[in-house]
Amino acid sequence: MNATPARPSRPRLVDPALAARVPGLRRVAGLALLVAALSAVAIVVQAIALAHVVDRSLLHHAPLGAVTGALVVVAVAVVVRALLHTAGDLSALGAADRVVGRLRRDLLRHALNLGPGWLAGERTGELALTATRGLRSLHAYYARYLPQAAAAAVMPFLLLIWVATQDWLSLVVVIALVLAVPLTMMYFGREASRRAERQWRRLSSLASRFLQLVEGLPTLRAFGRAAQGRREVEAATDGVRAATMRTLRSAFLSALSMDLIAGFGVGFVAMVLGLRLLWGRLGLETAMAVLLVAPEIFIPLRRAGAEFHASTEGQAAADRVLEVLATPGRASAGEPQRAVAPSDPAVGFAARRLDIEGLVVEYEHRDHDHPSLDSFSLRVPTGSRVALTGPSGSGKSTVLGALLGFVEPSAGTMSIGERVAGDNLAQWRTHFSWLPQRPHLFNATLAENVRLGAPGANDDELRAVLNAVGLTDLLAGLPAGLETVVGHDGLTLSAGERQRVALARALLRPAPILLLDEPTASLDQPTVARVARAIEPWLAGRTVVVAAHAPVLLSRFDAVVALTAAHPLAVPS
Amino acid sequence: MSRARGSLRRVLAEPGTPYGRLAGAGLLGLASAAATIGLLAGSGYVVGRASLRPGLGAIVGILAAVEVLAFLRGPLRYAERLVGHDAALRALTRWRVWLYDRLAPRVPAGLAGWRSGDLLARAIDDVDALQDLYLRTLLPVTIAVGAAVIGTLAVGFILPWAALALGVSLAVALVLPALLTWRRSHDDEIAELAGGLAAQVVDALEGAPELLAFGADATALGRIEAMDGRADALERNHARVAASAALLIQVCLAAAVTAVLALGVVAVHDHHLGQVMVAVLPLAVLATFETVPTVPVALARARSVRASADRLYALEDVPIPVHDPATPERLEAGVPEVWFEEAALRYGPELPRALDGVSLRLPAGGRLAVTGSSGAGKSSVVNALLRYWPLESGSLTLGGTDVTLAAQDEVRGASALADQRAQLFAGTVRSNVTLGRPDATDAEIEVALAAARLTEWVATLPEGLDTPVGEDGVAISGGERRRLAVARALLAPGPLLILDEPTSGLDAVLANEVVAGVLRAAGPRSVLLITHRAGEAARCDATVSLEAGRVTATPPA
Repeated sequence: MNATPARPSRPRLVDPALAARVPGLRRVAGLALLVAALSAVAIVVQAIALAHVVDRSLLHHAPLGAVTGALVVVAVAVVVRALLHTAGDLSALGAADRVVGRLRRDLLRHALNLGPGWLAGERTGELALTATRGLRSLHAYYARYLPQAAAAAVMPFLLLIWVATQDWLSLVVVIALVLAVPLTMMYFGREASRRAERQWRRLSSLASRFLQLVEGLPTLRAFGRAAQGRREVEAATDGVRAATMRTLRSAFLSALSMDLIAGFGVGFVAMVLGLRLLWGRLGLETAMAVLLVAPEIFIPLRRAGAEFHASTEGQAAADRVLEVLATPGRASAGEPQRAVAPSDPAVGFAARRLDIEGLVVEYEHRDHDHPSLDSFSLRVPTGSRVALTGPSGSGKSTVLGALLGFVEPSAGTMSIGERVAGDNLAQWRTHFSWLPQRPHLFNATLAENVRLGAPGANDDELRAVLNAVGLTDLLAGLPAGLETVVGHDGLTLSAGERQRVALARALLRPAPILLLDEPTASLDQPTVARVARAIEPWLAGRTVVVAAHAPVLLSRFDAVVALTAAHPLAVPS
Repeated sequence: MSRARGSLRRVLAEPGTPYGRLAGAGLLGLASAAATIGLLAGSGYVVGRASLRPGLGAIVGILAAVEVLAFLRGPLRYAERLVGHDAALRALTRWRVWLYDRLAPRVPAGLAGWRSGDLLARAIDDVDALQDLYLRTLLPVTIAVGAAVIGTLAVGFILPWAALALGVSLAVALVLPALLTWRRSHDDEIAELAGGLAAQVVDALEGAPELLAFGADATALGRIEAMDGRADALERNHARVAASAALLIQVCLAAAVTAVLALGVVAVHDHHLGQVMVAVLPLAVLATFETVPTVPVALARARSVRASADRLYALEDVPIPVHDPATPERLEAGVPEVWFEEAALRYGPELPRALDGVSLRLPAGGRLAVTGSSGAGKSSVVNALLRYWPLESGSLTLGGTDVTLAAQDEVRGASALADQRAQLFAGTVRSNVTLGRPDATDAEIEVALAAARLTEWVATLPEGLDTPVGEDGVAISGGERRRLAVARALLAPGPLLILDEPTSGLDAVLANEVVAGVLRAAGPRSVLLITHRAGEAARCDATVSLEAGRVTATPPA
């Protein structure tokens, strides 16, 4: 993850930027604080009632009837406190769900709005990590840490105020111990994180050893080294254990210090109260109530401390999400649209000439994968077939990317008939169907994948188009036919099969202009010849632009436009 | 449910479970819980006794004991955590070896989708999750129940009737919320949704260009939101179950405190009980209940561990594809002739034949190329040759011996494989290249590296052959990795070299050089070259072309 920009680290329960985005978030934080305050009141009421009963019985041998009322108050206070706790937890969970749901939606929408040009490369992986693991830790922040943090912020303070009204010496003892909390936390926390960092590299490399050995099992078997691999699994995992234990020994120290402080919080207070009772400076009722309240001062601090890493992780995730959302998007992209029906088939692919005039594309980081275009012009009459050729890096894909609105040209115009690119991207894109160079198969059924751009297509049409791209045999061999899941978790298809599935997807979309990027890269020559013949009916009346190193796939082209790496030629057709 | 209890019980009953350490952690935890009860009860005694103003001597002993307990509680808990984690991590070592042992005889052919799918990653996560059964279920439940017994006994020592009231409340507080949690539903669906949601998000981001170009972005986002909504609804249900369980425990606590205190008040009033004890009783009850809320949480954890355990044990149900014969025959020494006769191979009864009557012969010292599109059966030839998967019919002989009559290790020992994935292991360039022959000399290594056209590359490495590779080492490109795998196969002692697409990812010139170099370096060994490049195939004595598991063409040598 990139270094997150330094943001003022004022302790806040709710990030103001998140609160601005998710309505009602401040209210949830307010509710958490209110629950904490009422819980403190319930604790004090419970303690006073209990102390009253003990006082009456111990000093006065009171009968049960004299303390029934106080006993009922004790029971009610315990239950009320539990109810408050439940309400606080459930409301925090609801808030967490809302925040995460909202942010995931915003994040994905914004990422799609920024488009493939922005999403390219490593950013996809990093963003995916933020949208999954990052948001999970943000969920933990709101669902678990928020109630604890509110309790830690309010309860010790309120309870201390009450103790102050009862016995100043107990107050001094408790305050001294409470002040020790941040000090020890800071010391042990820093110590632990310093050690953890040192161990981390070693740990993660040991942890990945296991994965690597298991992944490499076939190789180890082939070379007769499986038994050796087993010993290495044992050694590596034992190494992980030893390293983890060293880390834990210091990591648990902060919990130990909290436990010690809480323990002495009871022990020392009991001593102070005992001595003051002996000397007659205090009544039993007061002493008993203070004794009951004292441990409650430390509990919220300990719990919040235990969830502390949830807080830092959640904050980091929120920062990352907000950073992405702050990336300026393209005004023209608009909201994601419900699949706009591509051109009405009744109108046919009516006379719509594709014109590119003086197109200039400049990338921030110019390299082989991102070739620029310098004043590229092209005129493609309706229904004609154009090949964009040239070596890799000459900008063929950039032209297609610009047409699809994935890259924003710095100059030039693109138009189809009367319509000019730029006013409404989603509308504009309905003119095109596309076979990308590296097609992505979604983790969905074969039918859903092919139907991506033509939601209304029926199974017969699907079979027909799969037949045209030469996947009849594949389809026949699939266990669940069209409903077979392909993609990451599904059936593994070869590169050639993937390319043909993507070609079928492109052909099925009833758009007037077909953009095919290296359509034959993974196909052998006989297959190309077969497919070329079979897809002919699917191309009838459509404009086709093929970007490849040479004119491929189609039997005839109306024009061949050659781009060179240095100076893309503009050849009007 | 019976299945569930079965698999969790099976996990705990596995030999090698570190019971000694777990018992130690449990005892430390119990001691810490007992210290808490003693600390609070003792504090109550101090305050109660002092209120009668008996003089310092009467309370100084118990006061000292209270301070000792106040100090001991933390270190005891600290020790419990360390010992418990150590035990869980020891169990993890055992479980990882367990998984390795289950996978070893079944990969690569026996587990479909093992590489492409997330089966492996999930199995590893599942093994990691088992730690929780020891740390977050077994220990907390044991300690909570033990603390309940200790607290009840202590109260019983003071006032038997109060112990009865406390015991009943504790029993209800321990059992009912646990049952409530254990019986909650939709665990599997939540886990599935969580995994599915993450997969959908990644899928949408990776397929963003297609979603936009095909106007399907809103649909994809809608699907993600629907899944999220369903997952949230189910999780809210679980949260309500958890909240009810927690609430129930607090109601039991309220009942216990009130009842015990009431009994104490009555007993003091009737002079059956020393009056100081009325200050001790409620604090003892509060302290005894402290560990009870961990029980439903622990059981919720057990529910998800159960799913992991089920999946792991399901691995054992996957049949082992190849077994050694009872009395294996030896293969004859030297370079064996390879002979597939009418060989058929199928990975499952419902799947089509991957090899369908394949006959091919590789004479000793010969060079045979196998070509064909992906899925044509090339890797099935390798799976049969290395005995990863048995033939359904027909035969495969090595030097005249049917491979089913020989030990698998010996059959594999006759081969030296450079596979497509070209897996490297943490270590140095040297340790990877000499995987099949750890005692290879530098001169032998150099010959193999030269044949794979790696000499120059190794010369550029900071520490030459001893440069670490893998995560902490130098970055290695796919082409270099494949060539390292080729060199590794060349160095291995097996007299039958199997090269599975050794040059994919290399440019044509380099690919040609590598193949030429390897064929030369192979010397008297036999070579089976799987390739899709016609030029490479032409360098062999003969070419067999496969399509849909059948031999389509065997051009004359």
